[in-house]
Amino acid sequence: MGIKSFSRARAIHVMLVYTGGCNGCDIEIVNSILSPRFDAEQYKVFLTWNPREADVLVVTGPVTHLNRKPLEAIYEAIPEPKLVVAAGSCALMGGVYKNIHGDIPSEEIEGPVENIIPVAAKIPGCAVRPQDVLAGVVSLLPTLLDAD
Amino acid sequence: MFEINAIALNSIFAVIITVIVCFIISTLLPGIERKYVHARIQQRIGPPVTSPGIMAPIKFLFKENIKPSSPVPGLYKALPVICFLVVLFLFIALTPFAYAIPALASLVAIVGLLKVEEICYVLMGALSKSIMSVRMPFPDRVKGAAHLNTTRSFIEDISARRSLRMITYGSFPLYLALFAPVTQARSIFLQDIVMYQQTHGPFLFTVAGGISAVVFFIGYMIMLNEYPFSIIKAKCDVIEGPYMEYASKYRSVVFITRGFLMLTLGVLFSVLFIGIPPTVFSPTILINIFVVLVFVFMMGIFSAFTPVFTNRQLLPTILGSTLLGILAIVIGLL
Amino acid sequence: MEEKVPRSNIIETEIPMGTVHPAALEPYRVRLFVEDEIVQEAEITIGVNHRGIERIMEGLPVEKANSLTEKICGICSNAHIWNSCRTAEIGLDIEIPERARYIRVIMSELERLHSHFLYLAHGCETVAHETFSMRAFYLRETVMELLAMIGGNRVQYGCSVLGGVRPRCDLDEAKLLRLKDDLDKIEEGLTDFAQRFMADSILISRVTGVGALPAEQAIRLAVTGPSLRATGVARDLRTTMFEYDDFDFNIITQPDGDVKSNLLMRALESFESINIIRQAIANIPEGKVVNRDWEMFDTDIIESYIEVPRGTLYHSYALESGRVRHCVIRTPSMANIGAMQYACIGDHITDAQLCIVQCDPCFTCTDRAIEIIRR
Repeated sequence: MGIKSFSRARAIHVMLVYTGGCNGCDIEIVNSILSPRFDAEQYKVFLTWNPREADVLVVTGPVTHLNRKPLEAIYEAIPEPKLVVAAGSCALMGGVYKNIHGDIPSEEIEGPVENIIPVAAKIPGCAVRPQDVLAGVVSLLPTLLDAD
Repeated sequence: MFEINAIALNSIFAVIITVIVCFIISTLLPGIERKYVHARIQQRIGPPVTSPGIMAPIKFLFKENIKPSSPVPGLYKALPVICFLVVLFLFIALTPFAYAIPALASLVAIVGLLKVEEICYVLMGALSKSIMSVRMPFPDRVKGAAHLNTTRSFIEDISARRSLRMITYGSFPLYLALFAPVTQARSIFLQDIVMYQQTHGPFLFTVAGGISAVVFFIGYMIMLNEYPFSIIKAKCDVIEGPYMEYASKYRSVVFITRGFLMLTLGVLFSVLFIGIPPTVFSPTILINIFVVLVFVFMMGIFSAFTPVFTNRQLLPTILGSTLLGILAIVIGLL
Repeated sequence: MEEKVPRSNIIETEIPMGTVHPAALEPYRVRLFVEDEIVQEAEITIGVNHRGIERIMEGLPVEKANSLTEKICGICSNAHIWNSCRTAEIGLDIEIPERARYIRVIMSELERLHSHFLYLAHGCETVAHETFSMRAFYLRETVMELLAMIGGNRVQYGCSVLGGVRPRCDLDEAKLLRLKDDLDKIEEGLTDFAQRFMADSILISRVTGVGALPAEQAIRLAVTGPSLRATGVARDLRTTMFEYDDFDFNIITQPDGDVKSNLLMRALESFESINIIRQAIANIPEGKVVNRDWEMFDTDIIESYIEVPRGTLYHSYALESGRVRHCVIRTPSMANIGAMQYACIGDHITDAQLCIVQCDPCFTCTDRAIEIIRR
């Protein structure tokens, strides 16, 4: 393992972007980082709010119209290598907001996160559990370590 | 002639070794603060000691070098490097080998270097135009919105204005505390201050020294922008303030500079108040490191238990510590 | 806005924050108009979260629509599903078993606890006091585990169904015992937290007088819930709800309407919630938890108001051959937006987000309404 992979494995900066979910996932993710019970920092995962610092972008929510451009802009601002984690069923596939009355696609959302930015890992759950968030972010490690 | 050269070479060699040893120690300091102080107080395990100080900067070295969103990208990128060099010179000025250059090893030079550091923050804040405020693509100036024709500021602009304010009065306590030992040693040269303390005992254990040590500690926290004095990079409004746009190498320099500044200010204290200059060729460097660690621990404890200050708390604190500093100088002069 | 006049009418610059910001747990845009770092005016733009949930509900079978309302908000999810079921129950005259009513109250109060702890944690995080924030999150974790024990999920439990509660959410002896034990733990932790909070003079000086909201102004802005009670107006819908008839509790009020009153208000109200849950555990009646014996018929528009952690929640819909029609949901944060904008005035920018947070915003709930501005 080179010094590059070694250092990357020991400091992962995570940025959280909420794109109009129900708040459940957002709070569970913040909880997994701020609560001493889960304490993501012991797994070398740090929460940051600055896109220039981030390695991993955690996106929750089904991406409403007004959230599309901010999400793209924040994604653009992150320097490579960057990976996106979609957390929660809304971010994965639109969740309950995907369709209206059966299978008419909803006009209110821009669809799952995948439609807008490339997603590297998906964390299912409504709402995601903190353990799953940590597992999801850490599962990206092999991809992150091998990136340029 | 040859002998003088040999001594000069020897000194340079000694300075380099001292700098390297202290630099390595300094990279551990943010991790120590985070893991052994903050995490311990917050009843959690906390990150590995190496992560915040060493591994994060190394990681940033390998990130893509993005052009910062700034009107003058070149200057903006140069600023953290200038900051680092300033801290490096500050540290070299404190080593006993710098006594040969009186212009460097004096309090005037130290104050000047610290001022350069502070001015860098102003420039950084003014030049950073991050995505998180005005540039966020959001239709908020639409029909029906209030005040459509106001000028708009980036959050870093507030931060720049605040660091300007910190230059004018915020860092006053630190400078007063720096000049307190001068009242005893009657000289602004570090050599004389150190010599005086080696004959008369550490300045720290006099009344004036004790008071000014407290003032120095407050100034130390203000200089490092640690909570509660972190108004220029408070997370609740300006997010990271001046550092918002740094990515890759420059961010790693920012991280390293912070650790090194922590160490350098601690060493500055041990030089001015205990009279022990840092050099690897003497066991007294352990005292330097001990002082640095005490400062880091104390700062960690204070910052874990305080919220960020607004002007309402900041002004009385700074005013109080400034008065204490003046008191210390008056006592020293008497 | 007569009472709290800005210090000067000069607006030097505008500082927009959002939609992603560390002090906000959800996307919204706030434009702060400042003069020398003092906020003169604030404008909150919502609608970022608009997902059209009422439109999705329109025409759904009422059972499905009920479970969908839960997805409106991840913090007060139980309140939404409860009120939605309550609406249909009022309209269809469904009698709810006593035991189910008690379990609903227990769930609702547990949810109030977790919402208030989140408020404390978020408030402390917004004044950048990481340690207190973590302590509050630690307390909250116990509540979350209790909720997960009863409902099976940490956030959206889906407790209420038409005619009672889901059989999964029935409380047996072991669960009641654990609930009781953990409540003692929570009370102890909260007492400790509140004492430390009050003893911390730096923190108190930081939050006292920030974002003050006078009572008259609060009433004029139609503020609801704890934000209203923190200004000194004792108005709590729980006193009029038949579910709470069997329980003894006090309405907590605080005098000033600033951040300190709001934080204290939440802490003290949490003790009342613990008290209510204890009474419910002690007197929980035996019997079935769900009444399946009811008939569906068409109704006119039915309305239901309940008190949720953030204030008054309103659900209304008509039933037409078992399907939901003309659905309207009005959440408490809708009423509190005016208070948030008002509270910011005259405070430092660093406190601006705190002033918004003090009204306990939940814009994910709120983003369904359309405000028509006439100019």
